[in-house]
Amino acid sequence: MSGIGDCIIGFVKKALFADFIKGLNITLKYNFSKSITLRYPDDEKWIPHKRWRGLHTLNKDDKGRELCVACELCARACPTNCITVVPMEDDTGKGITDRIAKIWTVDIVRCLFCGYCEDACPTRALRLGRDYELSVIDIKGTFKTKKELLQQKDIPEGVEGGVIAKARFVRTDDGIKVVADLGQTKKRKL
Amino acid sequence: MIDLNLVIEVLIIIFKVVFVTMVLFSLPMPLTWIERKVAGHMQARLGPWRVGPHGLLQPLADTIKLLLKEDIVPENADKFLFKLAPIISMVPAFAVFVAIPVGDSFKIPFIEKTFTLYISDMNVGILYVLAIGGLSIYGIILGGWASNSKYSLLGGLRSAAQMISYEVALSFAAIGVVMMTNSLSLVDMVRAQDGGFWHWNILYLPVGPVWFAVFFIAALAEINRVPFDLPEDEGTLAAGYHTEYSGMRFSFFMLTEYVAMVTASALAVVMFFGGWNAPIDFRTIEILTPITSVSWIYSCFGLFWFTVKVSFFIYLFMWIRFTLPRYRYDQLMTVGWKILIPICLGAILVTGFMRI
Amino acid sequence: MMEQVFFYIFSIIAVISAISVISARSAVRSAFYLIITLMQVAAIFILLRSPFLAAVQVFIYVGAVMVLFLFAVMVLDIGREKLVAYMHHQSVIAVPAVIVFFIMGAYMIIRGGWNVSNAGFPEAALAKSSEVIGKEMFGRYLFPFEVVSLVLLIALIGAVALVLRGREKDKQC
Repeated sequence: MSGIGDCIIGFVKKALFADFIKGLNITLKYNFSKSITLRYPDDEKWIPHKRWRGLHTLNKDDKGRELCVACELCARACPTNCITVVPMEDDTGKGITDRIAKIWTVDIVRCLFCGYCEDACPTRALRLGRDYELSVIDIKGTFKTKKELLQQKDIPEGVEGGVIAKARFVRTDDGIKVVADLGQTKKRKL
Repeated sequence: MIDLNLVIEVLIIIFKVVFVTMVLFSLPMPLTWIERKVAGHMQARLGPWRVGPHGLLQPLADTIKLLLKEDIVPENADKFLFKLAPIISMVPAFAVFVAIPVGDSFKIPFIEKTFTLYISDMNVGILYVLAIGGLSIYGIILGGWASNSKYSLLGGLRSAAQMISYEVALSFAAIGVVMMTNSLSLVDMVRAQDGGFWHWNILYLPVGPVWFAVFFIAALAEINRVPFDLPEDEGTLAAGYHTEYSGMRFSFFMLTEYVAMVTASALAVVMFFGGWNAPIDFRTIEILTPITSVSWIYSCFGLFWFTVKVSFFIYLFMWIRFTLPRYRYDQLMTVGWKILIPICLGAILVTGFMRI
Repeated sequence: MMEQVFFYIFSIIAVISAISVISARSAVRSAFYLIITLMQVAAIFILLRSPFLAAVQVFIYVGAVMVLFLFAVMVLDIGREKLVAYMHHQSVIAVPAVIVFFIMGAYMIIRGGWNVSNAGFPEAALAKSSEVIGKEMFGRYLFPFEVVSLVLLIALIGAVALVLRGREKDKQC
C-alpha cells in the first residue's frame, strides 16, 4: 500500500508548495551569502598563476642581451600564422649571438594562446606572460612589436600567482590602467 | 462667495493625487536598483556596483540613457497605436491607486480636519481596482500588434490569452475576500481585519490560505512576472511585446511593470494581510494608550506597517523571479483553467457555508 | 451644472469614437475605438450614480470581452476584401433597420418615456448601490436572473457542442 501512501504524501506536498518553498530557501541562502565577484577595476585584481598563458614576452639574459636568435621556429610552430619574424645580422652584442630579430610582431587578435611558440623556442626567449588586459581602442594596437614585448612586465616572473591583489584604477593620457599592488594580496575564497 | 471648506477639500484631494503620482513615478528607480541587487546576490554576484556607492546612482544613469535614446518607430508599424500603447499601459496602472487605502483617516492637528490616507473610499473599490488594473493589458496587446513584428505580436497574443485565463481566478479570489469581509470597499475590508493578526483574512481558516494562494498565483500572471512572464519571454520572443520599443516609450512599459508589482503587493496586503493594521493591536496595551490614542500618531504607525508589508511582498515577487523557471504556454493554461478555477469553485462553496 | 458639462464631454467622445469604430480601416483600430466608447459609457454610468454598473461595465466589457475580441481579430487577421464580401448581403437589410431604430429611439427620447428617476430609491440608498442591486437581483428579480444564467449556460454548451461536432467531422475526413 506504499503506492497510495506516497501518492497522499505527494499530494500534501504539492498542496503545501513544498518544492517551491525548498527552492525559495536555496535562493534566500545565496542572497545572504558572500558574493564571489571580484570588484575588478576599482578594488581588486586577479593575479594569474605562473602557468597562465597571456601576452607574449621576449626575455633577456642576466647581462641584458636579447635571448631571441630569430630562428623563426615560433613562426613555423604557430597554427594561425600570427607571428612574423624578420632576422638580421648584428654583432654589437645586443643579442646572445650575432643574429637577432629585426622585426618580431605578433597579431594578438589572431593568436589563440596555445603556447606552441613557447615550446618551440630553443633559447627560452619567448614566454607567454601573465598580462591579460589586451583590449585596445585602435586595431593597429593589436600588433604587439618586439619593442613592447621586451619591456619589463607589471608582474615579475618570480611572483607566485593565484591570488587577488589590491588594485587601483588609473586614468592616464595613454589610456586606462589597473595597477595592482602586489604587496597586498589574499587568497580567493570559494 | 466660495465655500472655504470646499476649497480645502479640493486642495487636499489634489495634493493627495499629485503626491501619489509623484511617489509612483519615482518608485521604479529604487525598485530597479533593488531588483538588480537582489538578482545579483541571489546569483552570488554583486549587482550594480560602479555608478555611485554600491551602484546607487545606476537607476539615475539608466534614466538619463533612456531619455536620451532615439525614439524609433518601425517603418510598417501602425504609428498611432504604436505611440499610444505605452501610455494606455501606464495610465491604468497609476489610476488603480485612487482606491488603495494606505492608512486610516486621522484628524490634522490645529485645523481639525479629517485627512484620509486614501484618495477615495468607493463602495465598489475592489471591482474598480480589478477593472482598471485589467486595462493595462491593452497597452501590451495593442503595442504588440502595432509593432508589426512577429515577436511582438506573439507577445501580445500570449498576454491576451493569459489575461483572460487568470482574470477569472483573480476575480474569484476577490469574491472570496468579499464573502469573508462582507464588503466591496477596500477600506471596509481592512477595517474588518482589525485587531491582531489572527483576524487577518489569510488566517480565516480553512479557506483563507487557499484564497491567498489563488490570488497570489493569479496576480503573478496578471502582472506578467516570472514564472508567468510569457508576454516578454526573452528565451523565445526576443523581448516579447516591447521588442520594437526604445527610449522613453520602453521606459513607460518598464514603469508600468514596476507600478503593477507595487499594486499587486498592496492589493495582497489589503485583501489578506490586514492592510494598515499592526500584527498586534497596540491600542489594547494600556501602557501605550497615551501614544496610540492620538489619531495622527496611530495613522503613522498604520502607514509604517503598510509599507513594511508591501515591501515584503515586493521582495517576494523578486525572490520568486530568481527562483523559478518560466512556465510553458500549455502548462500556463492548465494551471489557470484546470487547477485554479476548480479550487476556486470549491473554496466559494466552503466560504459560503462558513458565512451562513 | 458640473455634471452636465461632464456628461457632454463623455457623450461627445463616446459618439465620435463610436463613429470611428465603423469607419476605422483595420479591425484592431475599431476594437480600440470600441474600448474608448465602452469606457465613456462607464463614465456616464458613474454620473448616473451607479458606480457598480460602471465598474462591471469596465470589468466585463472592456476587461474581458474586448480582450477576447482583440485576440480573435489578431489570430484571424481578416483582410479587408474578405470583410467586404461578408458584409455584402447584410447591408441591404441593415441600413433600413438602423434608420427605423434611430427614428424610434429619437421619438422615445423626445417623448420622455424613459424617464426613470432613481427607481423609487432614496439618494442615500443609491450611495451603496452594490447592496441595492444585489438585494433586488437575488430577491425580487431572482427568476429572470436565473433564466438569463440558464440561457448563457445553454449558449456555452452549444458552443462546446459545435466545436466538438466540427472536430468529429475532421476525424472522419
